[in-house]
Amino acid sequence: MEMTDPAAERFAQSMLAELPLVEAPESVWRGIEARLDAGERPRPAPVFRWPRWAFAIAAIFAIVAAIFWRASQRGWIDTGHSSQTIAIGQIGTVTIAPGTRLRVVADRPEEHRLALQHGEIHARITAPPRLFFVDTASGTAIDLGCEYTLTADDRGAGELHVTRGWVAFVWQGRESLTPAGAMVRTRPVSGPGIPYFEDASSELKRAVDGRLDVNAALGAARPRDTLTLWHLLQRVSDTDRAPVYDRIATLAPLPASIDREKVLRLDPEALKLLKEELAWTW
Amino acid sequence: MMRSILAFLAFAAFANAQAFSFRIGAPVASQDFQFKSAAFVFRTEGCAGVEKLKITAAAVGRVNGERRSMDLHVAASSSHPGVFAVAQQWPQEGNWVVSLKGECGDKIAGAIVPLNRQGFIRESAKFFSRAAKDSEIDAALKDLAKKEEPK
Amino acid sequence: MTNHPVQVTTEILAACRTGDRDAFRSLYDTYKDRVYSIALYFFHGDRAAAGDASQQVFLKLLTQIGQFRGDAEFSTWLYRMVVNTCVDMTRRRKRTTDLSDTLPAPARQHEEIEQRQVVDAVQAAVAELPEKFRIAVLLRHFDDLSYEEMAAILNCSAGTVASRLSRGHRMLAVRLKKFQERWK
Repeated sequence: MEMTDPAAERFAQSMLAELPLVEAPESVWRGIEARLDAGERPRPAPVFRWPRWAFAIAAIFAIVAAIFWRASQRGWIDTGHSSQTIAIGQIGTVTIAPGTRLRVVADRPEEHRLALQHGEIHARITAPPRLFFVDTASGTAIDLGCEYTLTADDRGAGELHVTRGWVAFVWQGRESLTPAGAMVRTRPVSGPGIPYFEDASSELKRAVDGRLDVNAALGAARPRDTLTLWHLLQRVSDTDRAPVYDRIATLAPLPASIDREKVLRLDPEALKLLKEELAWTW
Repeated sequence: MMRSILAFLAFAAFANAQAFSFRIGAPVASQDFQFKSAAFVFRTEGCAGVEKLKITAAAVGRVNGERRSMDLHVAASSSHPGVFAVAQQWPQEGNWVVSLKGECGDKIAGAIVPLNRQGFIRESAKFFSRAAKDSEIDAALKDLAKKEEPK
Repeated sequence: MTNHPVQVTTEILAACRTGDRDAFRSLYDTYKDRVYSIALYFFHGDRAAAGDASQQVFLKLLTQIGQFRGDAEFSTWLYRMVVNTCVDMTRRRKRTTDLSDTLPAPARQHEEIEQRQVVDAVQAAVAELPEKFRIAVLLRHFDDLSYEEMAAILNCSAGTVASRLSRGHRMLAVRLKKFQERWK
């Protein structure tokens, strides 16, 4: 059926609404800065100009002493006693601590993936979400726009500390969302633990890190710790879920749009709405 | 007597539900990856129709005893209308607060958001149903200076 | 797409004129994603071309900022540079579509795969529009500019803007008609 003009206009605009705004990669700014520093814009003359041969020698040294490896190298990287920094396409960098072993699994514009066997990495990613992944034996860290530190031992036990943005850590359908200022432990058998803010009380941390103690966690939680309690909702039995929800509602008064019964049934949409509301207290 | 109290409380609740105000949060609250490096994000509540909204922000600080202020650029989320972000545009040195002012038709809201190196200090943020006064901003800066003093 | 106009203050512009790098960065941050996105979709998803175009736009902006007198909206002045840069680059380069460098998104679930197909189809349909319609559609989509503002950017009348948008949207509707049922 042929559309009328106004209908075609509306349809085209609704289809255009699917086109996402794309974040300009950091490389664009770096390129601009490099050209500005090279004098592309009129600026006061420098006091001293290096001769051209000095640049050539510096370039040779840079290549020989390279600390940046293209992440297209597919073999294992063992850092030994020194740290290394690798570029992740054009979307960021990963600094690899001494004593770390990891491998580049994929290096494509739509997917950059590392496998961390053991050690520690610090990632700084400036890309849209879900382009950078790090696999460990206990799960996969999915970058959602951030800076974080990830450690793992050979069994896959480790920790994820997020300093900027937020990171999802997934394993066999279990997911943890860890925002800046929070951390989560990972275990080889059970995957990601329950995240908590680094400034949470030791009682709360003990209650969720080892053997789960729901009552202790509820008692020790502050409004900010609804991050932990939101994750707890999905980890406790049906009997324990209502007290967890009610404690969340006490710590962070919820709007009427949050449906308690749907949350208690672990309805995905209800959980998502609850998370989006609680994030304003994290 | 009890009925009057209940009626008053109900009216207050209703009026409160309509109040125009700010809600501030960490970047994760925006659900927008473009804001991951923001100093903080905020949304407004009680303003029907984001197109009526007008937001201004200023950073006010004390650097080596000298009071300074600067207008700030506020970024609007393209994926979540009504959510905004403030990136750090003020220097690292000194103590700084951000003063927000929102206008929604004839309703006004204000907020003072103190900041430190880790980000915004949620517990010290203050909210108003009008623009923040200079005296309130100065008081917030004074409190911040006390907190930030080396112990 | 709705976008909320962002005000570039006279202070930021004045500071840029004096070579203040931080002020320029602030200006850059305000517009970088829209400029990049318009260039990206204009160049059929070519990230390298979009990056080049974005760099050229902002460098030109900084070089010529002394000429901006404030007698027009700053965005009008900026987007005029975007249009001119994109058109100039098109004339200079051979058209290539690097499929490996087009917009990615890892599709992990069925709904995401379907959504990815829609985005790809819309992107391809936009890329097939004649240049004049393509740029008009992208400017309107990413910054919700008025016909008058677009007329100033494109150096034509508001009537011509309306006509280009209308024809561009009609072409998109025809190319994307397989999604009509989904839209209803």
